Amino acid sequence: MTRLADRVQVRLHMNQIVARKIRRTALAAAGALCVALTAGAAEGNERPLVGTPQPVKDLHWGEVLFYFYQDDFLQALTRLGAAQDFNRLTHHTVEAELLKGGLYLSLGQHEEAGRIFRTLLNDNVPLDVRNRAWFYLAKVWYQRNYLQQAADALSSIRGALPGSLEPERHLLEAQVLMYLGRYDDAVRALERWQPTGDGSDAWSAYARFNIGVALVRTGRIDQAAQLLDAVGRIAAPTEELAALRDKANLALGYAWLKEGKPNEAKAVLQRVRLEGPQSNKALLGVGWADAAERRFTKALVPWLELRDRNLLDAAVQEAHLAIPYAYAQLDATRQAVEQYTLAVAAFEQESKRIDQSIAAIREGRLLDAIIENDPADKVGWYWQLQNLPDAPETRYLYHLLASHEFQEGLKNYRDLKLMQRNLASWELSLSAFEDMVDTRRKAFELRTPLLQQVLDRVDLDGLEARQRDLELRIGEIERENDVAALATAREREQWEKVLRIEQVLQRSDPGDPLVEEMREKARLIKGRLLWDFNSSYKARLWKVRKELRELNLAATEVRRRWVLVERAREEFPARTEGFARRVAGLKPRIADLNNRLASAAEAQNRYLAHIAIRELESQKQRLAEYSLQARFALASIYDRASSAAQPASGGAE
Amino acid sequence: MCRRFLIAVLGIAFACGSAAAQEAPASAAAVPAEDFKSLDQEVQALKKEVLDLNRELFVLEEELLFPANTQVAIFVSMDVGEFFALDSVTIRLDNKEVANYLYTPREAEALLKGGVHRVYIGNLRAGEHELIAIFTGQGPNARDYRRGATVKLEKGVGAKYVELKISDRASRAQPEFVVKQWE
Repeated sequence: MTRLADRVQVRLHMNQIVARKIRRTALAAAGALCVALTAGAAEGNERPLVGTPQPVKDLHWGEVLFYFYQDDFLQALTRLGAAQDFNRLTHHTVEAELLKGGLYLSLGQHEEAGRIFRTLLNDNVPLDVRNRAWFYLAKVWYQRNYLQQAADALSSIRGALPGSLEPERHLLEAQVLMYLGRYDDAVRALERWQPTGDGSDAWSAYARFNIGVALVRTGRIDQAAQLLDAVGRIAAPTEELAALRDKANLALGYAWLKEGKPNEAKAVLQRVRLEGPQSNKALLGVGWADAAERRFTKALVPWLELRDRNLLDAAVQEAHLAIPYAYAQLDATRQAVEQYTLAVAAFEQESKRIDQSIAAIREGRLLDAIIENDPADKVGWYWQLQNLPDAPETRYLYHLLASHEFQEGLKNYRDLKLMQRNLASWELSLSAFEDMVDTRRKAFELRTPLLQQVLDRVDLDGLEARQRDLELRIGEIERENDVAALATAREREQWEKVLRIEQVLQRSDPGDPLVEEMREKARLIKGRLLWDFNSSYKARLWKVRKELRELNLAATEVRRRWVLVERAREEFPARTEGFARRVAGLKPRIADLNNRLASAAEAQNRYLAHIAIRELESQKQRLAEYSLQARFALASIYDRASSAAQPASGGAE
Repeated sequence: MCRRFLIAVLGIAFACGSAAAQEAPASAAAVPAEDFKSLDQEVQALKKEVLDLNRELFVLEEELLFPANTQVAIFVSMDVGEFFALDSVTIRLDNKEVANYLYTPREAEALLKGGVHRVYIGNLRAGEHELIAIFTGQGPNARDYRRGATVKLEKGVGAKYVELKISDRASRAQPEFVVKQWE
């Protein structure tokens, strides 16, 4: 009994730790990885996986972080993958992979995250980063019930984790070992780690509680008692510690009851607060401790207090049986009969309500009631349902809230629904993609003739031939030192005029003094022009060479562009058809995925309904057994009354 | 009576046991843990496919709508932000308003942590263009603040990325708006 009771306790308190920590660790885990820097600082001691802030060197990396910092992990992962596809994260290769692993983790993709981490977590990654990655991975695996993987991941951690992660790691390790049935290993793991201080801190209290529970499970009650008793007496300034103290007292109380030490049990159970999650079980236990010592009047005090509490609680149900039992022990037969009868009626009524709940769940109303109550729209492994809506199909399922199996299943169902919505929005985009492909086709058909006209007008080969001629001509001028060939248009005109004048003068009378004078003038002008040509020849030749080089470059660029245009003209239709094929291929894929998401959600729904019904059936079974015991007790009382009456009446006869 | 006591106490054990059976991952309950695992693995695989498809669709969208040779993307980033609390950014390209983005506190916080927001993605022809960015928010002493930055963009053959960076100029206790062009 104690083992099972303790198991409940330890699970509940671990869930609380997980719930408390999970929001913070999700940030750090996911991001692990990240780079990220300041997110951790904002959360106190929590550190991101990669502790050193690094400047953003690729804009698209910053874009991924923009969504990551808003906890929009789906967007962050999508953009991260796309940026990697486009090769845009060249300065953040390792961080990008780490973040990707963390994002997969945050989206519940522990297998993919594990694969990435295993590939990445080698000696090139700082030990600190590796350790934290293994820790977060272990945590998710534990939650998902992959216990051996969780144990392996925890054993991969070398040295100590920073801050509060270290105690959490030891508690997690002990927890995993306990669920693997390795109680001695769990005790040893916790004993190896002794939190420092006077033992009044929360981590120390949790550790001693867990060691105590593990010792109880190995039958070492006396050793366990010392630890649980100490935790049961701690000062509890916070609700969390008060709850832990109650759990320790309850666990020890029931351990003592099982050991046949009711007085010790009572002393411990009376430490549990009157109002709190453990109070019903404690009140029941105190009653049983008195009953074991045959102090039935005293036993009735806590049990009568319990009777007026919520009948959904198993301890309250049992109190309904214990009260008439105590009256019977006190020979108050009338009250015993009355209370047994009331108990049978209450159990039957409760059983009928459970039937209604089972029927509602079978009609598929369970998850709809839960999901409708959930306003969030983001996927994430840190998400946990805190409260069940008050509906017939959910009223009896509070036990399930504490179970990973149910929470994880619910998370899966919720993620599947969110992904269906995500695909639905892409489906709308697909028609826009199809329109875009059509537009590309039409634009190409429209522009091709115009493009062709432009291309037809340009005689690129002719231009290149003229360029070659020009080069030859310049070479010739240089070889022949033809200084006049580089004259300006005006000089050229003057030069030709002088040459024409010379020809005319040659044909004129050489004896004419006027002709002689004209010849002299022409010679002077020619000489002056030649002087100018010669003096500017080198500069002009350099300039012409320079222009020729520029022309060559321009011609090469024209040729390159020509080739690009030609290639684009040839490739554009194929590229457009490539897009068309991709778009067309996506449609059936989305439809197929949608169907599979729907059937997986349905399977998840069935599975969760199955768990819920199993829980309800067990509650019903328990009520039936209690009811049977009550009827049997009633029958016994009537039998005894009847037997007692018969001899008397026989005597009268 | 002793027997009945035992039955009752065991009743509590049963009650606790039934709860524990569901909570303990390794317990042999009516629905074995393997059922959860196989379903979980199926869901994992399915989610992975959806995530991959998401990435593919995102890539296709960009390739189809914003080909690299005409693509221009404008990003907003913040450094420190002590002298300026960003409310919104308006982008004009060649005198045409192409984006007007109002930041939520959550988004502004993400920028301050080091995130970079792609506020606009579009297409531009090769050549020179004018970009005007107008930032509004709260400046020093919580006063309303509106500042513009203009830059000439030379769009080449490849994609053009522009970063609008808001930083603090401590010496003047004023925000500074820098436009940085990335190739």
